[in-house]
Amino acid sequence: MSRRFAVLAALTVVCAGVELVAGRGMSPAVVWDVLGGGGDTTERHILFQLRLPRLLVALGAGACLGVAGLVLQSALRNPLAGPEVTGVTPGAVLGAVAATGLGLAGWESPLAVVVAACVGGCAGAALLWLLAGRGRSDPAQTAVHGVLVSAVLGGLTAMVLLVAPGELGSVVQWLVGTTEGRVWQHWHLLWPWALAWGAAAWLLAGPLTLLRCGDDIALAAGLSAARARALALLCAVALTAGAVAAVGALGFVGLLVPHLALAVFGADLRVTLPGAALVGAAVVCGADAAAQLSSRLLAAALDSGRLTLPVGALTACLGAALLLLVVRRAPSRTF
Amino acid sequence: MTESVGIRAEGVHFGYPGQPVLRGVDMTVGPGELTALIGLNGCGKSTLLRLAAGLLQPDEGRVLLAGDDLARLSRRATARRVALLHQSAPAVPGMTVRQLVRQGRYAARGPLGMLREGDDPVVRRALRDVGVEQWAERDVDALSGGERQRVRLAMALAQDTRVLLLDEPTTYLDLHHQLDVLQTVVRLREERGLTVVMVLHDLAHAARFAERIVALRDGRVVADGTPKEVVTPGLLADVLRVAGRVGRDPEGGWPVCYPDHPLLALEYENHVH
Repeated sequence: MSRRFAVLAALTVVCAGVELVAGRGMSPAVVWDVLGGGGDTTERHILFQLRLPRLLVALGAGACLGVAGLVLQSALRNPLAGPEVTGVTPGAVLGAVAATGLGLAGWESPLAVVVAACVGGCAGAALLWLLAGRGRSDPAQTAVHGVLVSAVLGGLTAMVLLVAPGELGSVVQWLVGTTEGRVWQHWHLLWPWALAWGAAAWLLAGPLTLLRCGDDIALAAGLSAARARALALLCAVALTAGAVAAVGALGFVGLLVPHLALAVFGADLRVTLPGAALVGAAVVCGADAAAQLSSRLLAAALDSGRLTLPVGALTACLGAALLLLVVRRAPSRTF
Repeated sequence: MTESVGIRAEGVHFGYPGQPVLRGVDMTVGPGELTALIGLNGCGKSTLLRLAAGLLQPDEGRVLLAGDDLARLSRRATARRVALLHQSAPAVPGMTVRQLVRQGRYAARGPLGMLREGDDPVVRRALRDVGVEQWAERDVDALSGGERQRVRLAMALAQDTRVLLLDEPTTYLDLHHQLDVLQTVVRLREERGLTVVMVLHDLAHAARFAERIVALRDGRVVADGTPKEVVTPGLLADVLRVAGRVGRDPEGGWPVCYPDHPLLALEYENHVH
């Protein structure tokens, strides 16, 4: 098990390294030079004030989404649950966009964005909870209702964007998810939040592992299933909201990382929750590096210097492909 | 060996809106007794078992465990005293036998205690009790039905309770595995003085393995006694709605049933009233 962690950690470090050199305008040699203490003021600024915080935010957001997805899937016993399809992510986006549109929050007050995203995420999850009603225990029904809730919340977000387009230019990137332009302030806000809720989620590893066995068994073994589930959902919503406030709605990360983590680390969440954090960090960081590299290639090919590919677009495509694989596997194996 | 524990249901009523399930059940299971619950589908056997495990609360009446009212115990405190093996269990992909059996320690260790690695002698003993140590690292979902049932029995045993409730532990198993599971239960009960209540569909198993049979019909206890007292052609007709004869096992002397045909609704009404 520790070997798997080591391999994954090495993979994450490689992704992080690629991410640092993937941007435009600095060759790997220059980056190496700057890291060693050399380079001119501009180069130092680019690396330490732009690329490093961006890298850290990508790692942190990926970890948050990975853990949130695993907590959701375990608590709801649903392999198709994920922040994106349970109303949490779209709710958080709506919260962030609405708060910005109303002038309550903005790039200058990222804390307000986190709070708004959190409230929105809770509201989205609550809406699904109410709508699904008695069908909650059925993964397929919950997924269907989740799509419904997501569509409604997405529509509301679009309305906010249409009504108040002026102030919201930069908000659009929340819809796709991007790490473009993330600075230290975002990181300083993200890490304590992620650490606190991540730790809370890990403390719930015992109950969550038991919830994976089904409510009947969990109750018979002495777990107050409803209470444990409510606490777990709170953690998942908070982690998702933190990630959405930092990088926007990164598609499919929260849905697919848990499947990868479970395949690598097994069903004991004491191990798999930290594993999901690591997988999530590696996936988002790697996707961001890939997005930057392909932006460079595309920009060169299309001869448009300003073209940037948001990482969210990449994770959505990658995620959709992986989801197809998951669905194609035998149904009993997907949870 | 610690003291055995008895269960007592006093005037228990339970139901769902517009649909009463139990209508005043009184039942006493003595410490260390092996009791079988029998009855038709939907007569309230499983519900009674769930009430005894504290998973449901009676609408009226109460369930006592060694004299303590279950309604006053927390979920965890109850699970430290009673283990319930459910009739069926959903798949748990990726979980190994050892991990699943370890989940039985939740009540004893608590949410934070489960985080500690700690090697647990109770888990090892439970794996040994049902003879599944050799599969401890295999995936539960990769096992056959009979093997899986033994693993789930081990999970219940890992709760280390004085009372073991089994809801149709032999359903879906072939004869070999049915006897295997039942004999394991009988052996453990003798070794540890466990109090065992099990819902059984097969009257042959009930008559052979149980010391006592409690029969339910329409949410009421209609027969209660040793297999020899209870298992009669009348019981077959009253409780199981079949016409049949009852003989004796030539070796062991326990009652053996020869069911002939199901009673038609009209015959049944005439018989009961």
